[in-house]
Amino acid sequence: MLRRLLFAVLVLAACRPDGWTAGRPAQRIISLLPSFTEILFAIGAGDRVVGRTQWCDYPPAALAVPSVGEGLPPNIEAVMARRPDLVVLYNAGPNVTAAKQLERVGIHTVLIDLNRLEDLGPATRTLGRLTGFEVVAESLATVLDSLAGRPPPVSTTSLAFVVWDNPPIIIGHGSYLDQLAAQAGARNVFSDVAAPSAQVSLETIVARDPQWIAVLSDSAAPPGFAKRREWRAVRAVRDGHFLLLPGSSFGRPGPRSGEAIQQLRALLAR
Amino acid sequence: MRWALLGIVAALALVLSVVLGPAAVPLGELLRSDIVWNLRAPRALLAFLVGGSLGVAGAGLQALVRNPLADPFLLGLSGGAGLGAVVAIGLHLSGPWALPIAAFIGALAALGLVYRLGLIGGASLDPRILLLGGVAIGAFAAAITTAIVSLADAAELRNAFLWLWGGLSGASWDSVLLVALYAPIPLAVLLAASRPLDLLALGEESAGYLGADVEAVKRRVYLAASLLTAAAVAVSGVIGFVGLVVPHIARLVWGHRHRSLLPAAFIGGGALLAFADTLARTVVAPRELPVGVVTALIGVPVFALLLRRWTIA
Repeated sequence: MLRRLLFAVLVLAACRPDGWTAGRPAQRIISLLPSFTEILFAIGAGDRVVGRTQWCDYPPAALAVPSVGEGLPPNIEAVMARRPDLVVLYNAGPNVTAAKQLERVGIHTVLIDLNRLEDLGPATRTLGRLTGFEVVAESLATVLDSLAGRPPPVSTTSLAFVVWDNPPIIIGHGSYLDQLAAQAGARNVFSDVAAPSAQVSLETIVARDPQWIAVLSDSAAPPGFAKRREWRAVRAVRDGHFLLLPGSSFGRPGPRSGEAIQQLRALLAR
Repeated sequence: MRWALLGIVAALALVLSVVLGPAAVPLGELLRSDIVWNLRAPRALLAFLVGGSLGVAGAGLQALVRNPLADPFLLGLSGGAGLGAVVAIGLHLSGPWALPIAAFIGALAALGLVYRLGLIGGASLDPRILLLGGVAIGAFAAAITTAIVSLADAAELRNAFLWLWGGLSGASWDSVLLVALYAPIPLAVLLAASRPLDLLALGEESAGYLGADVEAVKRRVYLAASLLTAAAVAVSGVIGFVGLVVPHIARLVWGHRHRSLLPAAFIGGGALLAFADTLARTVVAPRELPVGVVTALIGVPVFALLLRRWTIA
């Protein structure tokens, strides 16, 4: 009971209308998600970012900011050592505890949801408000909102996102990548799976026969499983129809989501 | 009668695992379907071979260490295999067989270390030290694995655990052929040790008086059971409960004579794993359950039922 109460108080504290920043925009910000880092730089608050995760690799200027490690969950001491006045965290289990710890030592935190395209607009507005860049943030948020609100085009092709090969893990309906594919004109053959990702049998992939196998990969070579005998039962694997999508531009929702959709559309049109 | 029943159950498990699946294959096209030939058939056979191997390895090890809790993975092999797999991913070793080979090498390394520890008191293999050494080496390897996973950058590494938790997704005719050529040797060694394993139940000293070459038998059984398990973990990860529960079920029905216990554990283990894998593939289709979950869900109630009948009778 006490724990639940604490949790409720914490959530309230994290979600409270940012009264404390009303007159004083955050000056030393630590961003604990690559997407937040990209948004902060895009709205012009990049020079206020004093800490990032090791995964924050865009824009290139972000690499000059000191890293505080993995980010999920954050290394509290590394975060405190940067003396931030605002820590932006992705709203997930371990981060809720971390936010509580940071608040206890007097560092303000905000937990933001960012799982799908429609989360981008609200996240951008929140960050704009906290940094005092409301106007730029609003115009970016409007663009991102229109991206999420746009009805997807009629799909002309199909794909399956393969996250891991043994056991086969695919991306389902509840995910950002599923939206990305739909907006680029490709039907995710596993859009009937409600979860963001799920383990499936290889024979299901064979039976659903996607035209493309999409893989988040920074290398130009086909994934290792392309050579495995059992995977060659999948037609797209036999035909070498792989979409190799760099994780930095495709793996996360952010200001570049529009570009990612364009790029995916171009790849599908090959 | 018991054998006929077991044979029917095994045949049924194999047939079901070829006929049933998440993809709809009409019965008429069963024999011509690519899905059946290249995916279901090798997967069913691999499940049977792995399940059987684990069953026999478990029965052998339980007799060897004279501990009903012994499981093929208790002796450090899963930790070693996991470490091998994670190192392979961390070093970006590519190639279709990199992971299984690395896991096999890891398991063999753990096997060697535990064996060496077991001999620490002299030339005689001490079952108690084998157990302790197995648990210790397993924990040590798991600690290194976790350290690598939490320190390394590659997000892929986390997926190594998925692989390690076991499953037959990697089944192909290649892996079936590999296991079918490899497993008969350790299986034959274990079967040949049936009589001395029976004697070992009386205690090592008594077994020695009754003519068993206790030291040689212990070494042979330990190595053969571990080599079987290492191959199983390389092709299908750590599939729990088969090696623990199947030997007990077989013992409850067939008694303690290893000449019939070992074959029963092989067929029973194979049938259980083939059946469990069919359920794993179909009950939540198009999604799939980890097969270890299903083996535990089936194996434990069957075991409890038999235990009840056996203790009441």
